[in-house]
Amino acid sequence: MTVLGRWLLAQLGRAGLAAWAVTSFVFILSRLDATKPVDLLLGEPDAQRTTLAAGASAARRLAVEQRLGLAEPLFYVSRAQQAGVVSWQWHGLHNQYHHWLVGLAHGHLGLSFRDGQPIGPRWRAALAYTLPLAGLATLGAVAGSLCLGLALAGGPQSRGWRAGLHLLLTGLQGLPLFAVALGLLFAFANPDVLNILPAYADAATAEEAWPQQALRLVLPVAALVLAVLPELALLLASILSQELSADYATTARAKGLTTNQVLIRHALPNALLPLLTAWAGLLPTLVAGAVVVETIFALPGTGRLLAEAVAAHDYPVVVAGVLFTALARLLALALADVLYAWADPRIRLTP
Amino acid sequence: MKYFWAGCLLAGSMGSCSQPVEQQAHTAVRIRWTRDPENLSPLSLSNQNAVDAANLLYCGLLQADLATGTYAPALADSLPQIQLLGDSLTHLRYQLRSAATWDDGRPVLATDVAFTLKLIFCPGLPNEKVRSSLNFVRDIRFDPTNPRRFTLVCRGQAPEFRFESGDFPVLPEDALDPTHSLRRLSLARVVAASADASPIPALTALAERYQKADIGHHPERLAGCGPYRLTAWETRRFLTFERKPHWWADALPAAPLVLQAKPLQLRFSIIPDDATATLALRRHEVDVLPQVSAREFKRLQASAAAQRDFAFYSTVSYEVVTAGFNTRRSILRDSLTRQAISKLFDPARLLQATQLGQGLRTVGLLHPTNDRRYYNSSLPLPTYDLPQAQVLLRRAGWLRQPTGWTRPAANGQPEQLALALCYRTEESTFKTIALQFKAAATLLGIPVDLRPVEGSAMTTTLREGNFDMYVRIQKGNPFAFNYTAILHSRTANEGNFSKFGTPTTDRLIEAVDAATTPAQKRQLLHRFQAMLQGQAPLVPLFFLPYRLVADRHIQHLYPAAIKPGYSAPTITWADKAAAAPVQQ
Repeated sequence: MTVLGRWLLAQLGRAGLAAWAVTSFVFILSRLDATKPVDLLLGEPDAQRTTLAAGASAARRLAVEQRLGLAEPLFYVSRAQQAGVVSWQWHGLHNQYHHWLVGLAHGHLGLSFRDGQPIGPRWRAALAYTLPLAGLATLGAVAGSLCLGLALAGGPQSRGWRAGLHLLLTGLQGLPLFAVALGLLFAFANPDVLNILPAYADAATAEEAWPQQALRLVLPVAALVLAVLPELALLLASILSQELSADYATTARAKGLTTNQVLIRHALPNALLPLLTAWAGLLPTLVAGAVVVETIFALPGTGRLLAEAVAAHDYPVVVAGVLFTALARLLALALADVLYAWADPRIRLTP
Repeated sequence: MKYFWAGCLLAGSMGSCSQPVEQQAHTAVRIRWTRDPENLSPLSLSNQNAVDAANLLYCGLLQADLATGTYAPALADSLPQIQLLGDSLTHLRYQLRSAATWDDGRPVLATDVAFTLKLIFCPGLPNEKVRSSLNFVRDIRFDPTNPRRFTLVCRGQAPEFRFESGDFPVLPEDALDPTHSLRRLSLARVVAASADASPIPALTALAERYQKADIGHHPERLAGCGPYRLTAWETRRFLTFERKPHWWADALPAAPLVLQAKPLQLRFSIIPDDATATLALRRHEVDVLPQVSAREFKRLQASAAAQRDFAFYSTVSYEVVTAGFNTRRSILRDSLTRQAISKLFDPARLLQATQLGQGLRTVGLLHPTNDRRYYNSSLPLPTYDLPQAQVLLRRAGWLRQPTGWTRPAANGQPEQLALALCYRTEESTFKTIALQFKAAATLLGIPVDLRPVEGSAMTTTLREGNFDMYVRIQKGNPFAFNYTAILHSRTANEGNFSKFGTPTTDRLIEAVDAATTPAQKRQLLHRFQAMLQGQAPLVPLFFLPYRLVADRHIQHLYPAAIKPGYSAPTITWADKAAAAPVQQ
């Protein structure tokens, strides 16, 4: 096996281990309070309805807990304290964590508390919306940041359009995503302003041509791009400006290269390392952004799925979301390490 | 970058030009929902949208008539006949409509009703909520001379049995029990099994078949006798219902409102965000916008173009915004203190500030207009009155010190009047109420700690009693007057969040529930409302409005005080030339 192969295997192993640890922690933490999902499923009583017979409420509660698997012990051992005496009790393999872990090992993420349905297909369906959205947003943000970063670093920023662009990006960076998304919505899907883009994603019909369906992604993608673009562009512009003041850039200019040639041939490769770190760090921003964008534009993606599951205390869905996010984040970091090695041959990967 | 935007704008213009905004030959209606129904299993309808969807797919014996605010016969040919036996049993005699059939032409029979009830009480199914709403049903008896006639045997006696006993979707027996194996098992036996969770092989097999069929996501596998069938469902995006070409109620000579189904297609679009939904309406991407927030309603009304295109409706719902006290807290144990603190709320201004003045102030939990005959209008409306609050506090034994209001507690130590007020974070109305209350309390020198609670944790907070005061919506309905669930000492650990209840008030609540004649009910309800003001375990501030905006060519929406606040199946499209702007 090559060095890269061994390194990748080690990285994947570490990522899997870390994801398991994080997800297990969230699983146990969420199940410590089993009352909220049961309360939510049973709902609040309406006035003027027939009331339950004495004891029926407790029985109803127990029935829900048993159906959700919450009546079982949480972990292999539990700690009890009676009259100041602490005792540990062994529950064997019949516990919630063990069932979840065995299911996970077999590729089953569990059943939703809300409707008892398997979680895997739900996440797959949501990813079918979020992956294109996040992928397009990442491409847009990376391409946009390269263009804008190079444009900003190509000359003095004290005046002219560069100053205006710098100010605009700084202002955009300070705006919360929901304001950007709503701003786009009110600007481009509003009969009182510009009524040229769909207000939400669902208006698509099966008969609609794909360019029109793609149009429905324009505003959500634009909102996500605008959420991450300013930070990346300003970062790149700052690094490039530093590189341009380095000795090697002065030498290159003295040899007759134009500023743009120096930027693209010499400064940009050197600016890639910190930029790779920033690109690898896009995932948390996109996950957080997806919650807002998918809610505003009515896209049934993972962000909305996760937000709704958290609000409904649908812990199995939440735990699956944590697992996916942790895995994606760890794999993105591993990918960034590979790209580091590619961008800078001095970096060596050791398993 | 500019080319990118130019391309987007050009493509967008082309797209919007080619988008048809005309309704599909005036046969389809597009309605906004804020959330997915999640589950269409008739046994576990998890939210209002699921209930609304189930009403399109299934028929109950009785269904709520939005126009009159009463239950009307649907599958039943009339309201049930009541027979009281002794003081602990009720018999409800139903007769099914002779025209009622399933999609395959088989008649809907009493055996189908019995099968549905067995499913509702079947252990191992997610039926806890519907089971608890029918927990008074003990057995079903068939009429040997008429397969459409049956009697429900109910434990206990209460006027609301008459309506609640028929408020469940009736399901076809043949779909899940084609061999009729469950007929050998009486409903009484199934009810007993649900109570003691004793395993019965036939029920276990039924539960497995039901779960395996995944009815919640494939309602076509248990097709009901409602007017629509689900033709498309993309979770958290949209649901489309198509009208059945031949529905049994079409043959009725004069179909009542609950058996009318006009649109050939109903499409429910899930749009969580209010602003997006408003723009979708403005762009004619949806036709009906129910449950509109006050802010969006106001914004739409302010637009001349929206005024031209849409009709605006507002009805007073049965949801009352209520402040409640934890009467188990020593500082809130006496009614004088609770009355005094009630005076710190300003319902009149709060109604104006949060609901544009729509909605109604109230003296109690009864609807001021719809329950007029029982509403005690001789009582004063709750008002903001700081001087009176101070007087009442002093009468309750509180003394104003430089450090605040104190009085000796039961253990001899002084206790201080300081309050923690809980409310759901997602409702701006609650936040406004909480801030107004805190400002008033500060003027009086009472420290108030505002505790916004995440929506899903609020029920647990209330049930466990981790609060001094709360602000929440108390839901009601026009069908019965039973306050046991929210104010009886028996339910202090369940839905009676204020933990209120004395032997006297318990007896009054029981008497209200048991009253049989309108005169008796009126007298008892007047006393109940007076008791509620005097004891003040909770303070009803105002009834919330339901706001609805719809394309002005839409007719027969029946804006109503009960959820969902309109009737989707009765909607028709008016001739565009004839339609005139409507505002209600």
